[in-house]
Amino acid sequence: MFNYLPEQASEFAYKVDRVNQFITNTSVFFIVLICGAMLYFAFRYRKRPGETDETPRIEGNNYLEVVWTAVPAIISIYVMYIGIVTFREMRTVEPDALEVNVTAQKWKWDFEYQNGKKTTAEATIPVDKPVKFILASRDVIHSFFVPAMRVKMDAVPGMYTYVTFKPIKTGTYNIFCTEYCGTGHSAMLAKLRVVSEAEFERWLNDNSEELLKAQMSPAERGENLYNKSGCVACHSLDGSRRVGPSFLKLFGKKEALADGSEVTADENYIKESILNPNAKVVKGFPPNQMPAFEGQLTDDDISALIAFIKAQDGTRKAEEKKESKPQAEEKKVDLASLSPAERGKLLFQEMGCNACHSLDGSRLVGPSFKGLFGRNGKLTDGSSYTADEKYIKHSILEPTSQVVEGYPPAMPTFKGRLNDSQINDLIEFIKTLK
Amino acid sequence: MAESATGEKLNYLNHERGLWSWLTTIDHKRIGLMYLFAMTIFFFVAGILALCMRLELFHPGPDIMTAETYNVFFTLHGTIMIFLFIVPGIPATMGNFLIPLMIGAKDVAFPRLNLLSYYLYLIGAVLALVALVKPVGPEFFSNFLTWLGLTGPVDTGWTFYAPYSLESGTAVVWMTFAAFILGFSSILTGLNFIVTIHKLRAPGMTWFRLPVFIWASYATAIIQTLATPVVGISLLLIILERVMGIGIFNPKLGGDPVLFEHFFWFYSHPVVYIMVLPAFGIVGEIIPVFSRKPLFGYKMVCYASLAIAFVGFFIWAHHMFVAGISDKSAIYFSIATFGVAIPTAIKVFNWVSTMYKGSIRLETPMLYAMSFVFIFLIAGTTGVYLATLATDVFYHDTYFVVAHFHYTIQGGAVIGLIAALHFWYPKITGKMYNDKVARSAWFLVFVGFNLTFLPQFVLGMQGMPRRYFDYLPMFEPMHQLSTIGAFINGAGYSLALLNLFYCAFFGKERAPSNPFESHSLEWQTQSPPIHENFEETPVVTDWPYSYGVPVEGGGHH
Repeated sequence: MFNYLPEQASEFAYKVDRVNQFITNTSVFFIVLICGAMLYFAFRYRKRPGETDETPRIEGNNYLEVVWTAVPAIISIYVMYIGIVTFREMRTVEPDALEVNVTAQKWKWDFEYQNGKKTTAEATIPVDKPVKFILASRDVIHSFFVPAMRVKMDAVPGMYTYVTFKPIKTGTYNIFCTEYCGTGHSAMLAKLRVVSEAEFERWLNDNSEELLKAQMSPAERGENLYNKSGCVACHSLDGSRRVGPSFLKLFGKKEALADGSEVTADENYIKESILNPNAKVVKGFPPNQMPAFEGQLTDDDISALIAFIKAQDGTRKAEEKKESKPQAEEKKVDLASLSPAERGKLLFQEMGCNACHSLDGSRLVGPSFKGLFGRNGKLTDGSSYTADEKYIKHSILEPTSQVVEGYPPAMPTFKGRLNDSQINDLIEFIKTLK
Repeated sequence: MAESATGEKLNYLNHERGLWSWLTTIDHKRIGLMYLFAMTIFFFVAGILALCMRLELFHPGPDIMTAETYNVFFTLHGTIMIFLFIVPGIPATMGNFLIPLMIGAKDVAFPRLNLLSYYLYLIGAVLALVALVKPVGPEFFSNFLTWLGLTGPVDTGWTFYAPYSLESGTAVVWMTFAAFILGFSSILTGLNFIVTIHKLRAPGMTWFRLPVFIWASYATAIIQTLATPVVGISLLLIILERVMGIGIFNPKLGGDPVLFEHFFWFYSHPVVYIMVLPAFGIVGEIIPVFSRKPLFGYKMVCYASLAIAFVGFFIWAHHMFVAGISDKSAIYFSIATFGVAIPTAIKVFNWVSTMYKGSIRLETPMLYAMSFVFIFLIAGTTGVYLATLATDVFYHDTYFVVAHFHYTIQGGAVIGLIAALHFWYPKITGKMYNDKVARSAWFLVFVGFNLTFLPQFVLGMQGMPRRYFDYLPMFEPMHQLSTIGAFINGAGYSLALLNLFYCAFFGKERAPSNPFESHSLEWQTQSPPIHENFEETPVVTDWPYSYGVPVEGGGHH
């Protein structure tokens, strides 16, 4: 009754929900009982026209009062007790727990594993193995909340806190920030990916991204950093205004500053703004919004970001993108060691599928890939489809011939840009998105 | 009986005329009305901010405002509602008006101090309004404003958590200083009431002949006097930290942000009892009158008020179970919190049993009082989820807390205040409100309120965090229901208050001195009361709840 809690993905989740359900049942019982009595009295003893007011002067009843002090007290003690027992279990760290360091910062989550692997906005952990997330913050208080795991803890600057749990189901789960932290608070989301132990080991020791990075041009590495370091949350690439200035045609532009002076957005200005954002704030933008990246980005990273910003000169066209694609294919050959689904995931990002197809069920230009495989539905021409291998392959090669109802025929064809094995990799990737 | 120049009976409203006579009055009744007037304005300002937020949340993604504006709106909604409306709340309005009348006194113990409290309140309110200024105009002027610290409306949330409030580029110093001044107003009002209740009771008005509203106000006044200085000091420390960088809360200077949370909640938990205890008192006055029955278990209700006020001081860190306090202290604070549930439960049982074998008239104040019981049951039971450690870890800082808080404060304190305004309306104005309109407004408030906040419990269960400008699509349906409810709720409040204002100024129906046939002392003088409250000092021989016919073994009073 009245249970809207998310799925139970950690070992103790069902115990939390059991406490929750006990409180709900008891509460509903007493609310119905008391309000029922109130409404019954209001009706049964209503003042009828012509009646006198001769009511019995009952001032109290010691027996009743003892009962309704004792009964809530006993129930309270029981609820309190089961709450404490479960809480202690939720806070007990198993000795073999996998430790992941989490650092919160306006407005992103950074994860670091014991072997030095770092990720942002997505954590991957193995199923059926206890994990301990050690929380810290670089600026204000944030809070690490994974509803499906029933855990939450503040990340407080100047101290370490933790959450611990044992995931029992593979899947992708939401991570929210639940302590108000400013402009980007509601955008401070991350994903928790729970995978099989084997896949986790492969993922943990997979340095293909590093390999890939080594072969990238500075601007490409910059683009990667732009997405991963969270710049994307506040700086657009299309000239639209977000929290901070857009990167479109930023390089070389003369900017008026809040203090009235003027500055040219050259390499040194951009570097300073990354390391010490409040030194020179562009007029019309709020100060104290951007976090300092001092100590987080290397000199190489900053050079790559500058190269990326330079590339946003408004001339980047589709042809240019095409040009870079065969290169990407060559790199793929080096990555033969990856599983098909992992190669598919890289393709998903490199080919720009992610611009129109989400992975979390949210609606972008096209249908989300989450739960796509095997889905049934209607096409714009009224016929029905099942998203099997054949349908997806056909949709990649001739997208506008079978558009799902409610979506625009907007997708370009990938004929000649993807070979059969790449299409299979993409399909394998889509299959994993349950 | 004395008459004014125009031939009307003299009363506190017409014995002196003109704006100046109001601004310089030391009459507790007029001061109560002046609070009511100012607070109503702030209630509507903060309410409109809430409606704007609900509109923004109708769909995910930005619709009518930016994230920065949203953050300012929820901060102002909270700050104005808390510090300018509901903390002065029932004590400053109904307490001021009723306490001397109910105990048979001419005024409060320190009438001039009472007026000072009011002006401190106004100064605090003006400071809070100044804090909304943005640096605008010619450069020298906007630089001047920036130099003054007027860098735009605060965006910290009403909780002012460090280090965010230390780093925010907004006018935090002004807003916290405003709250600091408002705190003084609250402390002085509390002191005034404590002394009044101790020293100015009419002959024969023993402690156990006091109406329960007085008991509740007394418990409230103790909290106001003891807890408010702590928030005053912590807000002052925030100011010192921002201006001088002394490093109490800022971790970069060796300070501890969790310490601020302790200081803040040491006040801000008891403060919810400042808001809601007087409403308990009001319901305890209304139900006996409209049931024609003595308040069931009167003494228990009185003791429960004191118990709630006392226990309320030792449970503050239940707001901090996941804030980084030790697991041991979390367990202690959970246990202590359950201690406050019991006296609260006792009250609910007593109210409902009062109606047993009564002669019940469902007048508008009674409708509000019964709605209060229903709403407060939900508020109380949802509080249990938050006091229980295992479940609070999930619900903390989700919409579940937002809903629980509004059930307690809006459903409790605001509906209690509206019930009181209807019940004592004939006494305050000498007129009757339009009953049909009042009932329709009640219906809108009741339906709108529940439609706004029941879906928010569901949102909280689904995991929707609070203070979110944007949200995942899965939360959309409940947000839409909540927004629709909020507008119905707003329409209900507007209608109720329009009705009260309209009838006060243009109503034809004169109220008799005791239209609801209450036995309490304030109804034994004329409506509206004369300036001195009573023609001569009343002598009290009985408690105020002797309704009905005495029966064998009927009680223990």
